[in-house]
Amino acid sequence: MSGEEKKLTMIDLARVSKTFPPDVHALADVSLRIRRGEMIFLTGQSGAGKTTLLRMLCGIDCPDKGYIEIAGYDLSRISGGEMQKLRRRIGVAYQDFKLLPDKTVAQNIAYSMEVSYRSRPFIRSQTEKLLTELHLLDKQDALAGKLSRGEQQRVSIARAVANEPELILADEPTGNLDTETALLVTQLFRSYNEQGTTLLIATHDQAIYDFPGSKVIKIENGRLAIQKPPTLVKKAEGKE
Amino acid sequence: MNFLLAVFSQTWRSIAETWRTQLLSLITITLSVLIFTFFYLVYSNALQVGNRLDNDLRLIVYLDEQPDANLQQEYQHKIEKFDQVERIEFVGKLEAYDRFKGQLDDSQDVLKDIPKDFLPPSIEIYPRRNLESLSRIKGFSEYLETMPGVLKVQYGREWVERFYSFIQLLRVVVFLSGSLLILTTTFMIGHSIRLTVFSRKKELELLRLVGASNSYIRVPFFLEGALLGALGSTAGIAALYLLFRWIKTNFAGQAAQGMFSFSFFSTSSVCMIIVLSILLCAGGSFVSIRKILSV
Repeated sequence: MSGEEKKLTMIDLARVSKTFPPDVHALADVSLRIRRGEMIFLTGQSGAGKTTLLRMLCGIDCPDKGYIEIAGYDLSRISGGEMQKLRRRIGVAYQDFKLLPDKTVAQNIAYSMEVSYRSRPFIRSQTEKLLTELHLLDKQDALAGKLSRGEQQRVSIARAVANEPELILADEPTGNLDTETALLVTQLFRSYNEQGTTLLIATHDQAIYDFPGSKVIKIENGRLAIQKPPTLVKKAEGKE
Repeated sequence: MNFLLAVFSQTWRSIAETWRTQLLSLITITLSVLIFTFFYLVYSNALQVGNRLDNDLRLIVYLDEQPDANLQQEYQHKIEKFDQVERIEFVGKLEAYDRFKGQLDDSQDVLKDIPKDFLPPSIEIYPRRNLESLSRIKGFSEYLETMPGVLKVQYGREWVERFYSFIQLLRVVVFLSGSLLILTTTFMIGHSIRLTVFSRKKELELLRLVGASNSYIRVPFFLEGALLGALGSTAGIAALYLLFRWIKTNFAGQAAQGMFSFSFFSTSSVCMIIVLSILLCAGGSFVSIRKILSV
């Protein structure tokens, strides 16, 4: 990969495999390149390996084999300090939300900005803006544990995007949402993508990626299966 | 928001959430500081008594001959070779006679027929008035006896030995209470940090996931420890001061005041105790957090 190509690449995976004991092949030889500013939907059945792939991209799990590079950082060689800095540039909406139930909605969202030492006025205005967009402004002082699943999911998404990250990873972000709210979330993601943010969204919800020009990767039994459109860069086994 | 503001707000949040545990640690640290400083106060006042021994604490070396200037210099050199002393005075036969005569007051007549050089010349050695010198005084006296021309060495052996034993006992007590302070403080801080980490486990996990730096996670615990150390030691010293005032008002009568001047710690000692407690607690929490969280 040339230097210019490297600069344009946000995610680069080469022959990544992951097996969980006793013998579950979550990912097998997955190779994929996602350019900066792309919005990719990762689809596939439950257990296909979507969550495993996202967990490896945010450094929670490590691959057994293969190479992962995010924003120019080789995750197998990244230092602790660099990983922390990289995580500040990535927003993740987890499938299990990872909210703190005894903290308010605003406090939960603020975490991702506080670790980047954002100013208090920025944190306040960003939180209010996102809660307004996700129709949750009246809940900003409510405890996260008291919210419905759908509301918790939206708070998790707000936290993922709040720090204006370069890369957003979302795992089933509309799994608990009704159609109307799912559309709100999709619009939010698309608005970030329009500003240049790269997004990788794992979902089964066809409604959120069924639009002209959407880029979809299907994952089946831990292998990349179908890609739409074909222009999406895929590195076949052994060749660039 | 800068780093300091962020960690201060984290610290405040953590204290507000875990104040019950922190209160328990605070009380333990206060009591430990109180116990240690109480014994340390007794010890330092006992040392003051030692320092006020003044002329009572001297070694008198009786010589068979009046030493000339060269011999005096040689004696001085030999004495200083063994130990640092405060001062050395050579007392000639006539000076000894005059002193003795002065002590007799109205009974000076008894000296009428006695020659003025009947008393032996002597060297009066005033050791440094500290415990190190006191502890070496027996060895010092034995050394002086080996010097040429020495007839006898005298000092208040029994009193010095008794005082030294008392100070040694106090030293052990201060050492034990100091160890107790260190053990209880580090144990309580470690315990308190463990409970705090346990109660904030999910939050700390989230902080790592959103990219919090090690310092961002560690420093609030460090500050919590330092704050506990500062508050605990201040409260402990304040309690000791109240106890000191109460004892001084109710038990230290005029007679005792004449013998000893029971005094409290100097401001610099108070500051030192507080700073040491802060360092101990902050260090304890720092080590605990590194061990528990591996960050």
